Amino acid sequence: MIGEATSSGAGGKDDSPAAVSGKKNKKPNYSRFTQQELPACKPILTPGWVITSFIVVGVVFIPIGLASLYASEHVVEIVERYDKDCIPPDYRNNSLHYIQTSDTDKNCTMTINVPKHMKSPVFIYYELDNFYQNHRRYVKSRSDKQLRSKASEGNTETCKPEAVTSNGQPIVPCGLVAWSLFNDTYKFSVKKEVLGVSKKNIAWKSDQEHKFGSDIYPKNFQNGSLIGGGKLNPSIPLSEQVDLIVWMRTAALPNFRKLYGKIEKDLQANTTITVTIENNYNTYSFGGKKKLVLSTTSWIGGKNSFLGRAYIAIGGLCLFLAVCFVFVYLLKPRPLGDPSYLSWNRNPSGQMN
Amino acid sequence: MLELVADMMENDLILIGATAVEDKLQKGVPQCIDKLAQAGLKIWVLTGDKMETAINIGFSCSLLRQGMKQICITVMNSDAVAQESKQAVKENISMQITNASQMVKLEKDPHAAFALIIDGKTLSYALEDDMKHQFLALAVVCASVICCRVSPKQKALVTRLVKEGTGKTTLAIGDGANDVGMIQEADIGVGISGVEGMQAVMASDFSISQFRFLERLLVVHGHWCYKRIAQMICYFFYKNIAFGLTLFYFEAFTAFSGQSVYNDWYMLLFNVILTSLPVISLGVFEQDVSSEVCLQFPALYQQGPKNLFFDWYRILGWMGNGLYTSLVIFILNIMIFYNQAFRAEGQTADMAAMGATMFSCIITAVNCQIALTMSHFTWIQHLFVWGSVTTWYLFLLLFGMLPPYYSEDAHKILVEALGPAPIYWCTILLVTVACNLPYLAHISFQRCFNPMDHHIIQEIKYYKKDVEDQHMWRRERSKARQETKIGFTARVDAKIRQLKGKLQRRSSTLILPNCMPSPCQ
Repeated sequence: MIGEATSSGAGGKDDSPAAVSGKKNKKPNYSRFTQQELPACKPILTPGWVITSFIVVGVVFIPIGLASLYASEHVVEIVERYDKDCIPPDYRNNSLHYIQTSDTDKNCTMTINVPKHMKSPVFIYYELDNFYQNHRRYVKSRSDKQLRSKASEGNTETCKPEAVTSNGQPIVPCGLVAWSLFNDTYKFSVKKEVLGVSKKNIAWKSDQEHKFGSDIYPKNFQNGSLIGGGKLNPSIPLSEQVDLIVWMRTAALPNFRKLYGKIEKDLQANTTITVTIENNYNTYSFGGKKKLVLSTTSWIGGKNSFLGRAYIAIGGLCLFLAVCFVFVYLLKPRPLGDPSYLSWNRNPSGQMN
Repeated sequence: MLELVADMMENDLILIGATAVEDKLQKGVPQCIDKLAQAGLKIWVLTGDKMETAINIGFSCSLLRQGMKQICITVMNSDAVAQESKQAVKENISMQITNASQMVKLEKDPHAAFALIIDGKTLSYALEDDMKHQFLALAVVCASVICCRVSPKQKALVTRLVKEGTGKTTLAIGDGANDVGMIQEADIGVGISGVEGMQAVMASDFSISQFRFLERLLVVHGHWCYKRIAQMICYFFYKNIAFGLTLFYFEAFTAFSGQSVYNDWYMLLFNVILTSLPVISLGVFEQDVSSEVCLQFPALYQQGPKNLFFDWYRILGWMGNGLYTSLVIFILNIMIFYNQAFRAEGQTADMAAMGATMFSCIITAVNCQIALTMSHFTWIQHLFVWGSVTTWYLFLLLFGMLPPYYSEDAHKILVEALGPAPIYWCTILLVTVACNLPYLAHISFQRCFNPMDHHIIQEIKYYKKDVEDQHMWRRERSKARQETKIGFTARVDAKIRQLKGKLQRRSSTLILPNCMPSPCQ
């Protein structure tokens, strides 16, 4: 496409203000900024740079990947699903009725075998599946103001439908998030000796200090006709209700784990742990799953080999690209700055590139 | 009466001298026209002057030259014309145009150039609906077109005819009030401020003070602006696609309830402070080659009209890059932070932690991408690009320090949860590299095996080969232009061809006596 320019007769005085004395020079002041001549570095991507950068990335990533993989492999993790097996055989077909009535025995026992030596602390998690804690209406249904101090006890507008009792009294803590508090409990013992579960520092410190007040106590909680989860001890302030604090941190995915407690002792390999579970929480009405997880941690956290594998994959890919590049460059080298590659030399017919 | 007296008085006069008035062209006009012709632009002249003046101006700025065949389309100037019907006049003009077109078509010499000269009276017939396409067809095959005695309305009509008839971009430049119609009609209007007042300037898109600045305006700034705007738009779509799609992917995990994985403040600041400044610096300061090179290589200008930087391939390529980036960011984050602990202290990642990590990955990846796109780094670009990434971390830090009344879920998230966790930094590094890898591979391969002109010139400049091998540089500069038939370069070329032709003829006549050298010499 060729542009067209039209002009009228270009007549006019020669504009040289310096030649005419007394006339002001209207030329704007020169500055490197306004003339776009600022000092600049103009790096170009030469084959040397390309190959070097690919190799550097590969050489840096593969060890990181190997280290992550090593760390992940050394994490010992035990996952046991218990929501199916913890129902007594009589109620297997009617699990919903079992979980909702209060006069059935919710205790059940399970044994776990420790495959490898687990160094303390051993973290205990409960894992829920198909539980959408990240649903928008669920996430909205809480009152952070109320949780912080007693003065805002009545601040329950955002908590509907779990905001006030039938008498109009505020529920503390209000909202669906608190209402659906997980309330299964686990007790561990090895050969009849009880393993203590520590609940210290399982919640974020900033939550305990700034988000949950120490002067506010649970009130009118789980008093309604529909029970959503666990009850709270009304004599413990919210800042010390660690299970509630952990639960109120809404998870990102429908399959999530939350910290229940820690075992501060080493667990030897091939130990058999007897777990006494109180199967209180109702996941049967929506097809959810409950699992108990015992896990050690490493510098990258729990057991997940994905990070290590991804690093190795990307590092390997970079090295492969470097090799490809070297190969193709040796076969068809292009000398840098060679003017024969300019379009008017390559296609003398005038094809632009 | 006066005539009789004059006849009596003006007798036996002695000629002392003669004066003449020269309406000189502005300084630098012939060079400017030559450079624009080399850049591939076609130049027409529309003037209110009479034909002789216009032809002289054409000669002085090399729009016309000695070897060119001039096609003059005029209305027959005889007294009988006034009586002749309009139809007859039109037929006459039509016949002239047809003859001229025939002559042009039959011309075998590839270097032959034609100039079309037409005056305002003829133009008023030629611009009528039934003849204008014929006229335009003749005009576009001519090397230069000069219209003289043109009224302001006709200037606008000719511009509209060219604009609509050829579909090309038109630029009109003028300095007087009679050029206003033409300036407004053209796609781009340039006004020259000066002797004839400011009317042209007020009606134009750009105004310059001398005609010769048009060369710099088009060849340097036009070239730069085309590339800047193309790159800016493509990058803008890329970064917003990369950001927005992660939100959509997350919906698949929230039962499509509309929950956003990011804090509202992150989303607000994304386009305001965290990724906007680098794009602005790209759009304002980016230069692929310096201004001297632009002026020395007019052929680079054609990258714009040929639309090499904003074709569908590039646009869709950038959008695909955005899609790929969003997928990589989302999938890697979800898989890395899945449900296990992410710290040695055993805590699992909640939505706030995952959202902040995902967002950090986006900011870092997107800003590294623009650093790969830029080729001209001043202190401003460095400040904006790396400053944007730093601003994000500063914001996360400072926002987290605000009391939970303001910061809600983001309270102390960097200091307490993410900062001390090695997995956070590992994830950002991995995701940034994974997102930029395809683009890096693509530009490396393209630059090494299928380079574009500005790449080669950048390399020549980088390795200072233009200083070492000045002969090569001069040779490439002389080749870097479109075949032109107007301008003084074309005039010089035509003269050289003429001399060569003479030399060949002379040497072919000289060979006969000399073709019997004695064998023992």
